[in-house]
Amino acid sequence: MTQLDVALIGAGGIARAHLPAWTTLGARVRVYAPDGQAPTLASEFGQAAVASREEAMDGADVVDVCTPTDTHHEITLAAVAAGAHVLCEKPLALRAADAEEMAAAAAAAGVRLYPGHVVRFFPAYARLHPLITGGGLGRVAVARFTRTGRYPTWSGWFADPTRSGGILVDQMIHDMDIARWLFGEVVRVHAHQSGHLTAPAPEGAVATGTAVLTHTTGVISQIVGVWAPPATPFRTTFHIAGTGGTVRHDSLASPGLRIVGTVGTGAAEGIPAGDFGESPYTTQIRELADAFAGGPEPRVGAADGVAAVRITAAAADSARTGRAVELLPPLAPEGAAA
Amino acid sequence: MRIAVLSFAHVHAPTYIELLRGRDDVELLTADPDAPPDDPARGAALAERLGVPYLAGWDEVFALRPDAVIVTSENSRHRHLVERSAAVGAHVLCEKPLATTETDARAMIDACARAGVGLMTAYPVRFGAAFAALNRAVEDGSLGPLVSVHASNNGWNPAASRPWFGDRELAGGGAVMDHTVHIADLMDVLLGGEQAVEVYAQANDVLGPDVGAGVETAGLVTVRYPGGVVAAIDCSWSQPKDHPTWGGLALTCVAEKGIVEFDAFPRLLGGFDSTAARPRWEPGGDDLDAAMLEEFLDAARTGRRPRPDGEAGLRSLRIVLAAYTSLRTGQPVPLPDRREDNPGRIHPSE
Repeated sequence: MTQLDVALIGAGGIARAHLPAWTTLGARVRVYAPDGQAPTLASEFGQAAVASREEAMDGADVVDVCTPTDTHHEITLAAVAAGAHVLCEKPLALRAADAEEMAAAAAAAGVRLYPGHVVRFFPAYARLHPLITGGGLGRVAVARFTRTGRYPTWSGWFADPTRSGGILVDQMIHDMDIARWLFGEVVRVHAHQSGHLTAPAPEGAVATGTAVLTHTTGVISQIVGVWAPPATPFRTTFHIAGTGGTVRHDSLASPGLRIVGTVGTGAAEGIPAGDFGESPYTTQIRELADAFAGGPEPRVGAADGVAAVRITAAAADSARTGRAVELLPPLAPEGAAA
Repeated sequence: MRIAVLSFAHVHAPTYIELLRGRDDVELLTADPDAPPDDPARGAALAERLGVPYLAGWDEVFALRPDAVIVTSENSRHRHLVERSAAVGAHVLCEKPLATTETDARAMIDACARAGVGLMTAYPVRFGAAFAALNRAVEDGSLGPLVSVHASNNGWNPAASRPWFGDRELAGGGAVMDHTVHIADLMDVLLGGEQAVEVYAQANDVLGPDVGAGVETAGLVTVRYPGGVVAAIDCSWSQPKDHPTWGGLALTCVAEKGIVEFDAFPRLLGGFDSTAARPRWEPGGDDLDAAMLEEFLDAARTGRRPRPDGEAGLRSLRIVLAAYTSLRTGQPVPLPDRREDNPGRIHPSE
């Protein structure tokens, strides 16, 4: 692969997951973050920190948007205007119209826009997709997904629904995207959220969300998200039933390595890593980097990112209004890959 | 004590009979006059196999004036047997769901109240020691207030062996009717009888084929309670028919100070069974049916009110009936806020 020139915007948790992946793949990265954290992060991986967004984007092949969700739209449009491909961390945007505008702008400019739906690259989910779409479970009837991690109190904007969308959007978009990837478009969404749903969230806050998705295929999916008390280990599960049997997964059930005693710190990890294979973030960024360099389309595209925002926005509407929200069949975005 | 088991329609009838037949303090009677005459799993044939006395009809049973009855008929056929039992002064343990309509459930509760007999709804899962420990942790405040619950009660499709489970008239519905009530009852315990204010449900019949038209085999039900707690339930008959165990019930409580996972039917022994060419599955946990029957016998002996009573059966039935309304409308169904009738558990934080 030709060496990619990457502008990494943001130096928080997800930038820390992306930067080693870019570095491993041989990319040259300029890091910019408005909070002044760029030099520390960049030097850790032997990359450069720059003083302005313009300086980061100037001549970049790819802009990797790792900032709070409410800034994705503006930064992505600027990146597209600068002629760069974009990897935008999930969710693409809070509002479906913003996500649609981002996808349309990228298509019009002839650059690629990919959302960071990294769960598609975690081994259990990556294996699940061909199992389901290949008919290994027969006709699927019902699925449930859970995702539990500590409340992201380390960065204040997560708890602010005007910036992150809250747990229903920021966290549960992962499994909503997976459900749509596996079972097709979603036509009806009902959701509730409970617990601490506003900023600031103190250490020890708890929030949960539950959503039921109805797919055009007739499959019904339950999504449960938990922002848990401190010291809760990160964990995801799923259970899917079809005419050909069931499939289940629990990320804590069969670890490749388990250590107990006083060697560990015991602190829960905020950002999950896969087991001892390649980091799913590296798998993701390798596949996207290949596409940016002119290779085949990756397993996730802009239209998927837009569809996921439509579902999460509908979930947030449902939680606010107390009604189930009907979704119209998606329009084919202009210029988007089929 | 003379106890009559009324009907073998429900798969739990033989379970209860096996638990009671050896006891010195129980004289068992059985009757199953509505059974198909050629069904070896029902009627006189089953009674003979179980070694228990069998009577030809309901009149013969009630003429012997049992002290207590266990009603294990089809769901919509509970009411007439409960009313006849109350009329002869027998305490009643009624299989769940208590009824298929609120009218029937109310009539059964009133008939037993008028006759001064106890009415208990057969919800065995609340009798487990692990669940009691969970409930204590909620009650004493050590978990902090509950935020939400997610739970699954999945099982084999019972219509495969008992076709009436797939008959809307006799069963009142499919998986939503059959399984949601168990988790609704556990929520009833954890929330001290606080009654749901909203129910949303989606379902399908992909996992046929042993059911009638319009009977659901998979369902997801979301229940909201007035204090803000939400319960997300998977009630599907999704356990594959050749799986080594019938299914299970698991419930996760997310509370402000911690997360608790409860498994009502934990696996005690695993491994692989080469003879059957499938995983080995030896169940562990308590004998929930035995514990439930102890409660019923003790209440019947002493005349005290059994728990869970008919009102508890009605509260969980209301959730299921609202779920069916939601399936028709595609929208959440509001239920009246009954907090004044039943204040629920007072949380330590309040």
